[in-house]
Amino acid sequence: MLLSEDSLTINSLADNFDMSRPAVSKHVKILETAGFISIKDLGRERYCTLKKDGFDELKAWLNYFDQFWASKLKNLETLLNKKLPN
Amino acid sequence: MAKIIKHQYFFSHPIETVWEYLTNSELMGQWLMKNDFEPVVGHEFQFRTGGKANLNFDGIFYCKVLEIDPLKKLAYSWNCGPGEGKITLESVVTWQLEAKENGTEVFLDHRGFNQEENLDMYHGLMHGWLEKFQNIEKLLNPAKDGNTNA
Repeated sequence: MLLSEDSLTINSLADNFDMSRPAVSKHVKILETAGFISIKDLGRERYCTLKKDGFDELKAWLNYFDQFWASKLKNLETLLNKKLPN
Repeated sequence: MAKIIKHQYFFSHPIETVWEYLTNSELMGQWLMKNDFEPVVGHEFQFRTGGKANLNFDGIFYCKVLEIDPLKKLAYSWNCGPGEGKITLESVVTWQLEAKENGTEVFLDHRGFNQEENLDMYHGLMHGWLEKFQNIEKLLNPAKDGNTNA
């Protein structure tokens, strides 16, 4: 959540956690591998930024499937009612 | 963000009928999508629909039957990608049915939603663990490998 507003250096990120800098660095590396954040080297500092693409794409998929199933279930009901009147 | 899609739907038809429409390939094609589904655990099949360029989706869902409990439960994997069989999104669809007095209550659960980047990491982790287990096995059975250090 700290990265949702702006980009931070690994050092300033580490200040927010009760963890050693190498430990924070390791977590950041995992998040980068997973595609959730990007790391940029600027001068002697490494800056982390939240990558919104991954989240937005997943959100688009979830919206798509939510509507997809709603309309398919409606299809099924229409089909059942037409073919097999009670 | 919740990564689960759930739908509950009541059909005023007997459970046998609803189950038939969920598990008969031709009937499924009439309300869901064209497919080569067979109600056999492990059967691999595809659903085909129109592609969605904005979602990087070629219109084919690659599925595999994971579980069948007649008239009660049906689950299949539901994977897709941009084309040529490449998978960039993995998920699982589960149907559960409940007989009611005047019909059938259907519960649909669609979850998983692992994306490509995560898949790479996940498979990397799995590979890592497999290697570790193989190492342990080797350590436990040194004789098998001909390492007679004794």
